[in-house]
Amino acid sequence: MRDTSRPVPFAPAARAVFDLALEGMVWSRRSLLMAVLLGLPIVFAIVYRAVLAAHIPPRVTPFDLYGAVVVFYYLRNVLPLAALFYATALIADEVEGKTLTYLLTRPVRREAIIAGKFAAYVATTLSLALPAVVLTFFILLTSQGRVGLGGAVPDLLRDLGVLALALLAYGALFTLLGVLLKRPMIPGLLFLFVWELIANLPGYLPRFTLTAYLRSLVRHRPAEEGISEIFGQILPTALCLEVLAGAVLVCLAAAAWIFSTREYVMDQ
Amino acid sequence: MTRSRLVVLSALVVVGVGVVGALGALYFDPARAAVGPLPAEGLALPADTRFVMGFDVHRFVASPFYQRFGKDRQGQGRPPGFTELEEKTGLDPERDVDRIVFAGRGVEKGQEGGVLLVSGRFDRTKLSRAIETETRGVTSKNHEGTTEYLFREDAGGAKAGAAAFLDDDTLVLGPRESVEATITNHAGGKAPVRSNAALVALLESVKPGSTFWAVGDQSVLSRLPLSIPGAAGQGSVSLPPVKSVVVTGDLDPMLAVELTGEAVDSKSAQSLADVVRGLVALASLQANQKPELKELASAVSVTTDATRVHVNLRVPYELLDSLAPKRPAAGGTAEVR
Repeated sequence: MRDTSRPVPFAPAARAVFDLALEGMVWSRRSLLMAVLLGLPIVFAIVYRAVLAAHIPPRVTPFDLYGAVVVFYYLRNVLPLAALFYATALIADEVEGKTLTYLLTRPVRREAIIAGKFAAYVATTLSLALPAVVLTFFILLTSQGRVGLGGAVPDLLRDLGVLALALLAYGALFTLLGVLLKRPMIPGLLFLFVWELIANLPGYLPRFTLTAYLRSLVRHRPAEEGISEIFGQILPTALCLEVLAGAVLVCLAAAAWIFSTREYVMDQ
Repeated sequence: MTRSRLVVLSALVVVGVGVVGALGALYFDPARAAVGPLPAEGLALPADTRFVMGFDVHRFVASPFYQRFGKDRQGQGRPPGFTELEEKTGLDPERDVDRIVFAGRGVEKGQEGGVLLVSGRFDRTKLSRAIETETRGVTSKNHEGTTEYLFREDAGGAKAGAAAFLDDDTLVLGPRESVEATITNHAGGKAPVRSNAALVALLESVKPGSTFWAVGDQSVLSRLPLSIPGAAGQGSVSLPPVKSVVVTGDLDPMLAVELTGEAVDSKSAQSLADVVRGLVALASLQANQKPELKELASAVSVTTDATRVHVNLRVPYELLDSLAPKRPAAGGTAEVR
């Protein structure tokens, strides 16, 4: 018989929260919308293969298109948005739905709640994003036979790793935002579409963004216009990994600490 | 198992199958042997290769740059090896060649150090016959089971050019010593380039899909001018030494070149960047005599990152046309007296 005067151990508690959160996340309208957004490149790849391949100039190879999809579509736009929509809602949805009280009255440590919910976010977003990337890669790169497919495989593996890291980093940051603020969506959008543009400036400023580190990790360098092409910096790989890992740990630790010490008073 | 766990598991299965399929393609595809843009056959180049440059020939000849500057056989826009290829083998680079790689073994070896690797779709039998019958002064010999064609061999066999087919799609040309070294490595299944860690690192840093690229280490770059004339009364300005250079570029829709030089330390990198910026500023000061130089100066950007200097150049063809020396018109007007 469990000692009911003590909270449930961390791992079983986190697993229980994970299961509950995963069920709510996967089967939601938000996930349906995200699945459509994340799966759009698959549709584009099929259309390219069926129709566009004959019309696009030969200098634009399928590998170039795949690189552009990874950098411009996934890394810069859709994945950060997915992280924003999911991660800010981890706690904020419970507060807004007035269900947080029921969660907090359980003999479960608050850190375990955050851990379980974040793990559910990671599982959901990776399940939606990574298969789409893999399918897009194969549909595009086999459009001219298997020539060159082997040579592009290291890039696929690298991209999968970087995209997973992007979901972790943005997710941790937006989890913290969701714990700190009552309405984190607007500040989150401002961060993504205003602050992150600093990555295109010269000097040391890009190092205060997440996108500068993430795009330094991929090998694709699609042609860009304007200042992003001129000033775009490539940061050392080791530095990028250290900063991103540090950002994930710091943001998650801060979120867990704030959530565990904060008093939530539900509006009547 | 809950439905949501089933969804996650299914996604994992899709990713897993994809990754396994990709690894299988990597294992069975000859391209797995490539290092960066260097094809598998290029790994047979001698281990003391100091610089390598390559062209995607299809993209190159389709580009406005080639149409403007590359067709002239004596022009500076013609890549190394095009003329030699035509003269020695009868190959039409514009039609028959997919990729050219030129590798040098160090400037101390001068012209004798370089070897050309040509990949394309050509009829090996027909081409061999063309070399044997139509090219003057050609003899052939067997080297490591491969037929080697020798051009202009003198009595001692020294300083002779050579060509050989490494396989049905790859031709190697160059000085006899370099060609024979490459044939020996290829026949023995060796990949000496892989033992040159510095060169491999430079090759792997080349931007994928570039129309042209070049990588070199310090021994080649030691022949760069290390001092340039300074302003009046200030003597000469020393250029900091550069450890390596990686150049990548595209030619459509404009000339876009990205050059990354690795200096010995961050201070040297900063000095080098300042020198380049100074040269760009000098060019823009000449705008009074030639306004196009100001546009050219604004097309260049220089940034530094620790020990690396990045120079970005994006030049529209209209600007290149205005800067190029004017050629005399064909059938120009005769002087009438």
